[in-house]
Amino acid sequence: MKTKVVLNFNPELANQPITNNLIAKHHLNVNILRAEIDEIGGKMVIELSGKADDIRRGIDYLKQNGVGVRPIKEGVRRDDDVCTHCGMCVSICPTKALAYDPKTGKITFTEEKCVACGVCIDACPPRAMEILI
Amino acid sequence: MTAEEFKQFVKTNGVKKAATEVDVVTTGTFGAMCSSGAYFNFGHTEPPIKMQRVWMDGIQAHAGLAAVDAYLGATELDETNNMMHGGAHVIEDLVRGKAVRLKATAYGTDCYPRKEMDTYVSLKTVNQAVLLNVRNCYQNYAVATNSSSRTLYTYMGKLLPEFGNATYSSAGELSPLLNDPYYRSIGIGTRIFLGGGQGFVIWEGTQFNPGVPRTPEGVPKRPAGSLAVIGDLKQMSPDFLRGLTFTRYGSSLGLGIGIPIPILDEEMARSCAVTNDLIFTAVFDYSQQTRSRTVLREVSYAALRSGEIDIKGKMVPTSSLSSLYKARQIAQLLKTQIMKREFMIEKPIQNFSLERVFKPLDVRTEKEAM
Repeated sequence: MKTKVVLNFNPELANQPITNNLIAKHHLNVNILRAEIDEIGGKMVIELSGKADDIRRGIDYLKQNGVGVRPIKEGVRRDDDVCTHCGMCVSICPTKALAYDPKTGKITFTEEKCVACGVCIDACPPRAMEILI
Repeated sequence: MTAEEFKQFVKTNGVKKAATEVDVVTTGTFGAMCSSGAYFNFGHTEPPIKMQRVWMDGIQAHAGLAAVDAYLGATELDETNNMMHGGAHVIEDLVRGKAVRLKATAYGTDCYPRKEMDTYVSLKTVNQAVLLNVRNCYQNYAVATNSSSRTLYTYMGKLLPEFGNATYSSAGELSPLLNDPYYRSIGIGTRIFLGGGQGFVIWEGTQFNPGVPRTPEGVPKRPAGSLAVIGDLKQMSPDFLRGLTFTRYGSSLGLGIGIPIPILDEEMARSCAVTNDLIFTAVFDYSQQTRSRTVLREVSYAALRSGEIDIKGKMVPTSSLSSLYKARQIAQLLKTQIMKREFMIEKPIQNFSLERVFKPLDVRTEKEAM
């Protein structure tokens, strides 16, 4: 099983070997898709893969240690009323979460593929994309 | 029928049958059209003012028209160069029915004594609100890519380094002027769908350049013709008129234009039968900061629509800046309006000249300019 989550660390937690514990103690594979740190803490987008029970226990471990855990769906949002379906985002999206559908001519947004990298945000001419993390 | 439907019809039935059975083909496009703007007549103040400087939501409009008229350009920015809210966004706000803050200053005259005005206006309060665009609806456009090592922010969007992507901006086979390559039915006086309302072609667009290389079928392979258009802003809709922001370039107007093409004869039917595999354009490297960039290659719209093109041996993902979804919507809407007799087709009062040339601007002496 695989799942993508957004993690928020406060400055104290930024020094802890949290990711290492996820791998070592909870037998999970952790793929870091995005990571940043500043004076108010750290943010990470990770993909966890492993047994369903291990993933559940891993997420519990993160929460118990004060790490904010949110599903990736809350990473990037598209405002469908603003999107004009031009397609500027399509060629810059590294995971093809934004893609052109030749049948409808519309641009589809598959949230499960999004890694919240944010490349699309300043590329969108009508400003339909918003990053929440 | 719409241009896409017509192409299918020709494929199945041939040009001859299409020419006799089909009366009108509707085309459409929705894209960034920077050379746009709107003029307004705000009404007279008490006491009257001859507005010398005018700002609409903080963005300066050109007021050298006397006395309460001003022209707001789509790419105009405020003093802080805030690209998130330029002239195009103010025009969209008005179309959405919002009120906009109007400030004006003047030096005062005996006949126009007032020196300042600060108020709100909307499409309800102004006398005229007219979209008047000097260069829209380009007949074909370039493909932009970037060979340099840094991301470029351009009017063709975000261009990733090392040929990371390529962007293009045309509705291809649905685009009005690509279906009428020699401007036989589109000319001065042609009634058009403009931003959700009805407008007219009033002149050739600026930079009109019909003499570019063409395919054997006559379709230009470079930016060629363009249109100057006019229409009542009060009829328009945010579905087809949008303020856009191109990061580090500025604001632009996203605008929908649709033009019906009467199938006058077999030649016209043949022109409207053109498909994306027969429409070509050139790929340019936008990291070359010159007005005459070298052509990297020519490419068809069918290839661009496939999602990637080959540039120097690398498969490069493509992006359209022109919304095919909205272009289709416009062609469909126009078809419905024509069938309901809500949209009447006009023969051009005058055709465009094919003799126009596109001249550059160089530093020259007064004598050289004469």
